[in-house]
Amino acid sequence: MRRWLPILSAGLLGMAFSVWMNASGMPNPVLYARVSVSVLIFLLGVCLSTVAGAALLLYEWVERRQANQALTAAEERRRFLQRLDHELKNPITAILAGLANLSAADSTPSQGEVIASISSQVQRLRRLVADLRKLSDLETRPLECGPVEMDVLMEEAYALIRELPAAEERRMVLTIPRAPWPLPAVHGDHDLLFLAVYNLLDNALKFSGQGDTVELRAYEDGALVVVEVADTGPGIPDMDRPHVWEELYRGQTARRIEGSGLGLALVRAIAIRHEGSVDLRSREGQGTVFSLRIPVGEAGNPS
Amino acid sequence: MPQRPKILLVDDEEAITENLASFLVRAGFEVSVAGDGLEALQCMAEVEPALIILDVLMPGMDGRAVLRKLRDEDNWTPVLLLTQVGEASERAMALEEGADDYLNKPFDPQELTARIRAILRRARPGEPPLASAWKLRAGDIVLDRRARRVVQSGQEIALTPKALGLLEYLMTHPDELVTRERLLDVVWGWDYPVGTRSVDTRVAELRRMLGEDAAAPRLIETVPGQGYRFAMTVEVAG
Repeated sequence: MRRWLPILSAGLLGMAFSVWMNASGMPNPVLYARVSVSVLIFLLGVCLSTVAGAALLLYEWVERRQANQALTAAEERRRFLQRLDHELKNPITAILAGLANLSAADSTPSQGEVIASISSQVQRLRRLVADLRKLSDLETRPLECGPVEMDVLMEEAYALIRELPAAEERRMVLTIPRAPWPLPAVHGDHDLLFLAVYNLLDNALKFSGQGDTVELRAYEDGALVVVEVADTGPGIPDMDRPHVWEELYRGQTARRIEGSGLGLALVRAIAIRHEGSVDLRSREGQGTVFSLRIPVGEAGNPS
Repeated sequence: MPQRPKILLVDDEEAITENLASFLVRAGFEVSVAGDGLEALQCMAEVEPALIILDVLMPGMDGRAVLRKLRDEDNWTPVLLLTQVGEASERAMALEEGADDYLNKPFDPQELTARIRAILRRARPGEPPLASAWKLRAGDIVLDRRARRVVQSGQEIALTPKALGLLEYLMTHPDELVTRERLLDVVWGWDYPVGTRSVDTRVAELRRMLGEDAAAPRLIETVPGQGYRFAMTVEVAG
């Protein structure tokens, strides 16, 4: 209502002014005609501004409504993840205790095998629960921010991923630009950014085979540091591409791959918390490039 | 054979109490079970447990309320809380309310027995645990847990929140082997595979800031391949 007040009062003032002009211009016919034309134009203006104002208000209302809906959807999703996490915790605790009882008791070799198989599946569920918690936690937990040297971070992540057996069967490449200046630092949470880069590498290992190349590289354009993980794996089919960042999404080729199904969702959540973004380019039969874009921090701006 | 320590296990999920009780019996404890908070308080008098394992989320009187009631009555029977929520503030609260330690569900039963043994070894009958003290002193270091400050020989040491969290947990569990995984769970609230390295980084930071010689540390010892141990005697500071 407050927004309408200026429009209304301007209209009323104008109206009063034209009535007065009308009255005082009556004796002179030329002046009278001019005043009538100007009153008409003025009224037209009032109508136009009213319509424009109404359109603007309507537009704003629709936008606010959509933003609200998006917010509730995100909040609902977060609560759902939290509840799911809670509901899974007790049964897993009980199963872990039960399994510990079983393996402590005497068991035949074939029973031992069954126990081992159940154990590994429970561990899988446990990882899923842990990742679910990370996801819901990520949206609310305070970031522990500081300048993060991305080149050092990449070297650390690369060193760690090379310890995995799968890395020995790939051609691993690390390319960090050093000339003419090193990668600028970004402002962020070191542990989370590390997790994001590690997850991308881990994902590339999972979705490539023996002899494939996996490359970790980065570049910057002054405003962003872009970390890319490229692989010469089978690539991601068109229809799967928009969905790979979603929680628990499994593409056609990913059915047999082990993992919680939350690795890339976590990467995206971490990027968003850092006001950055994620992206991917893929060609079937050739490979995939995942990229993580993080804004350069104030600390990283050489002046 | 020494007497088996008595443990009171309190959880509303029968599947958990059944399985955990028989596991704990096998591990050498005498176990009583209570299904909710009120029952737990009633059991206390009869059982006189050496330690209580207390689930936080229970219908009716929850674990926190039971713990508060016990401490209000000046009952300092060691309590290990089983927490549900992973958030750091919730975890800190568990210790502030006078719990000796806590475990996040789901946990490895072996970790539970390790925690129980550590608490029983540490326990000073009838006295509040270090974990419920606001100010701790070890040598020339004073940790103010409420103000989140560390002072060494009168000089304030600027630590990152995680390094401070590490120091806090180590100081409240002195002379105890704490695994990297445990520290990660306690301070980070996460258990991701890359995390154990983050723990090492933060411990290195802690040592540097406290002027420790990494080759011959006085405060935080490395237990090769396992974790860390706070080596100095810790006392409650006034």
